[in-house]
Amino acid sequence: MGSWIVDNWPSFDPHNFSQLRPNDPSAPSKKTPITYHPTHERTLPPPDQVISSESKNILLRQFYQRGDEKLRPKRAAPESLAPEQECKHPRASIASSSSEPPI
Amino acid sequence: MFRRHNITARIFERQIRTPPPGTSVHRARRFYENIVPGTTIYEVECPDHSFRKFTEDGKYLISFSRNHQDLIVYRPTWLSFSCKQEDCDNQDLPLKAKKFESFFTQLYSVPLASANELICKDFFLYTETNQFGLFATSTAQIYDAPATGGAIQGVPSIEKITFHLLRLEDGVVLDERVFCNDYINLAHSMGVFLFDDLLAIVSLRYQRIHILQIRDSGSLVDLRAIGEFCREDDELFLNSSAQAISSVDKRAPQHMPINNAVNGPHLEQSAQENPFLSGIKQRLLSFIVRGIQNEEKDETMRIQSLKKKFYFHFQDYVDLIIWKVQFLDRHHLLIKFGSVDGAVSRNADNHPAFFAVYNMESTEIVAFYQMTSDELYLLFEQFCDHFHVPSKSSPYMNFISSHSNNIHALEQLRSSKSKATSFPLFIKKVLVSLPFNCQSQSPSPYFDQSLFRFDEKLISAADRHRQSTDHPIKFILRRPPHTLKFKIKPGPEAGITDCRTKRISSFLFHPILPLALSVQQTLFLQPAVVNIHFRR
Repeated sequence: MGSWIVDNWPSFDPHNFSQLRPNDPSAPSKKTPITYHPTHERTLPPPDQVISSESKNILLRQFYQRGDEKLRPKRAAPESLAPEQECKHPRASIASSSSEPPI
Repeated sequence: MFRRHNITARIFERQIRTPPPGTSVHRARRFYENIVPGTTIYEVECPDHSFRKFTEDGKYLISFSRNHQDLIVYRPTWLSFSCKQEDCDNQDLPLKAKKFESFFTQLYSVPLASANELICKDFFLYTETNQFGLFATSTAQIYDAPATGGAIQGVPSIEKITFHLLRLEDGVVLDERVFCNDYINLAHSMGVFLFDDLLAIVSLRYQRIHILQIRDSGSLVDLRAIGEFCREDDELFLNSSAQAISSVDKRAPQHMPINNAVNGPHLEQSAQENPFLSGIKQRLLSFIVRGIQNEEKDETMRIQSLKKKFYFHFQDYVDLIIWKVQFLDRHHLLIKFGSVDGAVSRNADNHPAFFAVYNMESTEIVAFYQMTSDELYLLFEQFCDHFHVPSKSSPYMNFISSHSNNIHALEQLRSSKSKATSFPLFIKKVLVSLPFNCQSQSPSPYFDQSLFRFDEKLISAADRHRQSTDHPIKFILRRPPHTLKFKIKPGPEAGITDCRTKRISSFLFHPILPLALSVQQTLFLQPAVVNIHFRR
């Protein structure tokens, strides 16, 4: 990095890189770079997690998904409007066609 | 971006440029635009066999003798004619080069069928990894056969059907599997589906799907038989419970037992037959019932809906039989159900049909659709290639043009969809090809829709006989400059003057070499006219 200055490489503004001091190879810098540690553990994967590819191909996944939706018991009428619309969204995002197919 | 057409320029281009990721096969195929089977040898003198097809790796040409008893296998080779003169390109081929034997060497001839059997010449399946070929011989069909031993009334019977597994390298018969007094649809391999090393054979008469495995050693091993029983130990369980029921019957003859644990709706029948539906029929009916039940939230509406949609048609659902089967992957089957009349009639279009997806491992039905279902049509439109099961052993079979991998085929489908007057009828027409026949499409690059444009009614990748015309079939480049590249003309060079006789042609394209055979036959037992189309 220090060779930028040493070799006088061209740059738009001659004041660029003026603050940069080249590293002196004989006396290595004692400053360690700042490291960041997470303050929470929410994003850690579970210790027994195994990532593998889906064995069913996309067509079979679609069949299973539609079959599960048909067989999933529907809830009682009043409060079902909001949750059911929520569950409709994932289907629309997975199906690649622009129109949502009727059940 | 314009690509140069000159083959030398293309070869130089190939040396310096890598293709975009995932398109190496497509780029290699573009060379087939330059190397075309443009020269035709008309009316080649060839042995009087019925030529069936080239194997998918191009190593063998399968043909059957006229009397349907022998199998003759040829190896496709090439001309070994050299020209010492200066102007070789304009020289005509010498007569001794224009022979069938210049292109094909006979490897062996094996008698497959014994005295009263005939080889089914429409049936041939090939496993590429081991170079095994599966052939079928059968005795004559018996119509109006009595429905004995669990058979379905109305389905004809064939006394003996034998499947022969042959090693094509040397013609050794490795294994055989016999079905007696059964009926399997052998025409165009419709009743059998091969996926990797798994074979699904549909016995229409006994309503069973036999799953077999072709081992590397060449033996056919039974894995399971789906139909009356789904799991291997079902038969034991049902027989023991049937014994218990019959002993209960003797004590209280007026009370019909209801077995809730294992089965859904049951049928009241005489004590001789099984009093409840078992196997795949039970799975299917319970899936339908649960689907209808879950549509309605209210209890009374649910009962109404069940009465209207299920119990009203109950007998129709019970009478459904398995028509055809294909694999969707190693564990899932796509099964077409229909009525008995539709299974044996030639034109099954007028008979209602249903599709079901069945998981062999969990023995569950995953999906059930009517044949005019737009949901199934949408899945077919988007994921057609997954219905043509991609096999790891022959990756180039994935490049057969379909509307899921080719924009021109997709445009064709969309235009016929917009022209269709009735959408359910259009869906029916499109879905009638499901489940697909195994290995029924030629992998030849000349049928690739992005390379060539041709009349689909006269010739296409599907190997079936077509009406023959006198005009040559043109293959035109898809890309600019849209020139005519080559023509395939079946039949004699001068054409046939007698227009009254109906002629049918079939085309056999070698999957790799620029070589094709066209066979024109009249319906009477005249010898077929065979033309060889190749690149000089």
